[in-house]
Amino acid sequence: MTLSLSDPAWYPIASSDDLPFRHVYQGQLLGRELAVWRADDGNVNVWENRCLHRGVRLSIGINEGAELKCQYHGWRYANRSAGCTYIPAHPADAPARRIQNKIYPVAEAFGLVWSAAQDSDNIERPFAPFPGAESGQWFPLRPMPVNAAPEDVLAGLATLAPDDRPADSLPGLALRLGDVVYFVQPVDAGRAVIRGLLPSTPADATQALRHYNEMLSKLRDRLERAAAKKPAPEPLAPAFDKVSADLATMPDIAIPRGNTIPVVVKRKWTSADGVIGFELAAREGHLPTFQPGAHIDVHLPNGLIRQYSITNGPGELMSYIIGVKQESASKGGSKVLVETVRQGDMLAISEPRNNFPLRRDATRTVLIAGGIGITPLLSMARFLDKSSLPYELHYFTRACEQVAFRGDLEALHGTVLIHTGLPRAEIGTTISTALGAWSQAQHVYVCGPSAMLESVRTTAAAQGWPDEAIHFEYFKNDKPIDDSSAFDVELARSAMTLHVPAGKTILEVMRDAGLTVPSSCEQGACGTCLTTVIEGEVDHQDVYLNDSEKAANTCMMTCVSRAKSARLVLDI
Amino acid sequence: MTITLHDFELSGNCYKLRLLMSILQLRYDIVPVDFFPGREHKSDAFLRLNPFGQLPVLQDGDLTLSDSGAILAYLARRYDASGQWFPDDPAVTAEVLRWHAVADDITATASAARLALGFDYPFDLEKTQAGAHRIFRIIDEHLWFGEKSGRDWLASPAHPTTADIACFPYVMLSEEGGISRQDYPALRRWTDRVRRIPGFIVMSGIFPAGPALPAA
Amino acid sequence: MPSIDPIDHIDPITRDLWQVIAATDELPVGQIQRTTLLDVPLAMTRDSAGLPVVWRRSDEEAGDDVDPENILDRLPVTTGYGFVWTSLGTPSAALFPIPEYAEADRKNMSCGSIGIHVSAPRAVENFLDMGHFPYVHTDILGAEPHTEVKEYDVEVSEERDEVLATRCRFMQPRAAKSATHAMEVEYVYRVPHPFCSVLYKSCPEDENRRDVIAIFLQPVSEDRCRAHLLQSMIDSTSTITDLRRFQQTIFGQDKPILENQYPKRLPLDPRAETPIRADKSAIAYRRWLSQKGITYGVIPMAS
Repeated sequence: MTLSLSDPAWYPIASSDDLPFRHVYQGQLLGRELAVWRADDGNVNVWENRCLHRGVRLSIGINEGAELKCQYHGWRYANRSAGCTYIPAHPADAPARRIQNKIYPVAEAFGLVWSAAQDSDNIERPFAPFPGAESGQWFPLRPMPVNAAPEDVLAGLATLAPDDRPADSLPGLALRLGDVVYFVQPVDAGRAVIRGLLPSTPADATQALRHYNEMLSKLRDRLERAAAKKPAPEPLAPAFDKVSADLATMPDIAIPRGNTIPVVVKRKWTSADGVIGFELAAREGHLPTFQPGAHIDVHLPNGLIRQYSITNGPGELMSYIIGVKQESASKGGSKVLVETVRQGDMLAISEPRNNFPLRRDATRTVLIAGGIGITPLLSMARFLDKSSLPYELHYFTRACEQVAFRGDLEALHGTVLIHTGLPRAEIGTTISTALGAWSQAQHVYVCGPSAMLESVRTTAAAQGWPDEAIHFEYFKNDKPIDDSSAFDVELARSAMTLHVPAGKTILEVMRDAGLTVPSSCEQGACGTCLTTVIEGEVDHQDVYLNDSEKAANTCMMTCVSRAKSARLVLDI
Repeated sequence: MTITLHDFELSGNCYKLRLLMSILQLRYDIVPVDFFPGREHKSDAFLRLNPFGQLPVLQDGDLTLSDSGAILAYLARRYDASGQWFPDDPAVTAEVLRWHAVADDITATASAARLALGFDYPFDLEKTQAGAHRIFRIIDEHLWFGEKSGRDWLASPAHPTTADIACFPYVMLSEEGGISRQDYPALRRWTDRVRRIPGFIVMSGIFPAGPALPAA
Repeated sequence: MPSIDPIDHIDPITRDLWQVIAATDELPVGQIQRTTLLDVPLAMTRDSAGLPVVWRRSDEEAGDDVDPENILDRLPVTTGYGFVWTSLGTPSAALFPIPEYAEADRKNMSCGSIGIHVSAPRAVENFLDMGHFPYVHTDILGAEPHTEVKEYDVEVSEERDEVLATRCRFMQPRAAKSATHAMEVEYVYRVPHPFCSVLYKSCPEDENRRDVIAIFLQPVSEDRCRAHLLQSMIDSTSTITDLRRFQQTIFGQDKPILENQYPKRLPLDPRAETPIRADKSAIAYRRWLSQKGITYGVIPMAS
């Protein structure tokens, strides 16, 4: 038998005990090097041992508990998805593109960790226990690496059987000798690891482990002497997958959103007076990578789409937890979620998008939340918490009963201050004290009602905070939109010129002309329709771009913003 | 009294002393020695300090010492009030000295392979690599059975000793000699533990480990 | 069967380049030193006038005495910036210029030649990279939280046939010996040769001048190289040993990163890895190599 790079069989690649918390194990299967690590939630990750950025082995990186940090440039990859959540060289950017390391399927069973050279998104052969597995309380032996061809190692193991009781062959590179099962992990063409399982924990475990270790060491020495006499087999040469074409260039505008993802409402509960928590779980596997501050579009049963921030911490991808405000004067969005959606219902959500990225290069981070605005800031606090970065979270609510996610807030290690029932003036002074005077590398993030955003913005500006240190996210645009102008737009890449009359948006005119253009909130708040401006002067009416971005005149929101000049040239 | 270390940054043997002095919070001065490319350790002035022409050399007041293992023992006996780094107990002393000898074997193999590949030394690469693998196999087995019996370090005490300091650098630098540690998972885990000793510092070629899981 | 000459596998551009092989002062007079260039075994020595002599080696042993007069079949040789350069083909007349090297008040020194298990272009690309400073050169060339790579400019100068990155700025904790707090340092990078790069760094002693640090890579094979380091500094206080130690510390930190990079040859296909804006200079460098038709030490784009 010769090894095949595309052999989809499951093989053990490590013992469970090889993977303590906060360690990265270096493994290999069929020539492919693997970085294997256990997250703090117990999940085992089996990834290609190579950072997608510059090809450095991830096994020299750092297991931060929920993310793996590459040693070369500090890129963070999330538990479960291997999606990139942070690029320190560009701390203010949310990685708009989906950078995801290659992952392999994983199963943990019988004290061993198993994987297979299969596409983890499309597993053709799911993990199946070996015949007879159900009868044992398996106890793993010390793994024995051998510099010999895996098939020779299997043949060598078979010679250990007494003459009157030959070895039973098991599927794959495995056999049973008496009641002990041995698996041969095909590391490479000329390298293998013997992984044995005893059917139960022996009375004197150390003595038994030493006994088998001695026996397998002798077998190893014999096999290696034999292998040294043969020409060394050519190592397998696995190819590295290419990254997607959009990753090969450096776009600076957001990518249109992908397909929707079906989710199940796993839990619905009253988190606080007026705040309903929803836990949205993937139907199978995990949900996509998100960054702190990210939100999802939730497609509601009545056809409406609403945005909600993800509250999760790093690497928590089995479900997203969102908080929904129970509004008395609801416009039908939240109302539907709160009143008609129940536990067990299916919903569709978008992939996470981030218009509110968190920098992890601040010497001081101030998080200010008002009411339901706690949701993105809770996620940010959790990321900072896990990386042991300092932060202060201020959470304002009208009453004590309105404090949502209280248990989650109490689990944080940073400074968390909850301010309840403060009169308006006192809110102002509390914000002012919380901000303090600005100095280099300090950042404030605020989410809450418009009045609070304005208060933070003006107070911060008055206390010397520059625009780029004040981060906020609008979920809606309360400003009146002036759509009285008329002008032409030239679409450079589509080679088209369209006239935008008063009363119509650029977005509507492009859609009428048959173009597919991504959009979401259509009120200049979410950033989805961000478009690069090549020529012309923009009449910005959105609340997404900050003042310096607006002044730069290099991009715009086509859903509300218009032209001051007679003509605009857009990169579409 | 002033401690002075005659030091070369890229030397694992010099780093052993920097590491222990950092852990023991000792203040010391460094005299850089141009080992490469200047070969200053073969200069007359240096040979007067150490006729063997080897780094490191440590001076403590009037005392001049050489050999990293010997100096580790000296620093621990002289300055470690806790007595844990080079314990007094005769059996443990013997055990630690045994590992100091292993450390010298690692220097003769893994470090020699690194010098051959990185610094053009005329050593037999295949032989030194094979020698290092032979030693790493034994250490991995020792550490694996140690983990099973609750022993985290090379010697038997429940805390690290100079045995760990002496063996660590050239284990960690072995890849520069073309010696992968992939087949030694228990050895790899031990290098995490060493890198989490309070006071740990790095040298060029060795990266820090991240923090351990906080105790619940 | 005729043996295959390794020279046949070298692309003509690489073959005709001047390639660095040793620091001139470290080459013994009348004694053989061995090295390998582009898979070709070489022997070298210096004659009684101190001039280097280089030839293709057969069974010569390092340390053997040799009379350079007897070596007739010599490879072309030039010296520059304290190093010996040779070529397996027909090199151009002159090496690329580093005019600062000739300034009388500079301390010029080699910092050793260090073997690395990675291709020469990978090592050049790492030399151009700033984003790794906080993670690889922690507390020296960078430190968290100052991780941002600000916008900088890159051009390929047609006139000089080199990649040039300017306005490169980075927050450095120990930019100068006297520095007590992090300060922003400005760099200019040149890639005047496919396997060489020159860095100009703001000089703490004289704000109108720049320290020069260069890396010359000797391509030993497709996936191994030797890094020859040059410093040309304006520094009236440090000793040569101090300055060498600093540079070796930095390079010793890069070494394990480079040796853990896969594949070891530099992939020129844009879809092989994931560039970000901070990698503008690396992207320009990869394109420049591709356009030149360099195939040695790289994985060329599939045609």
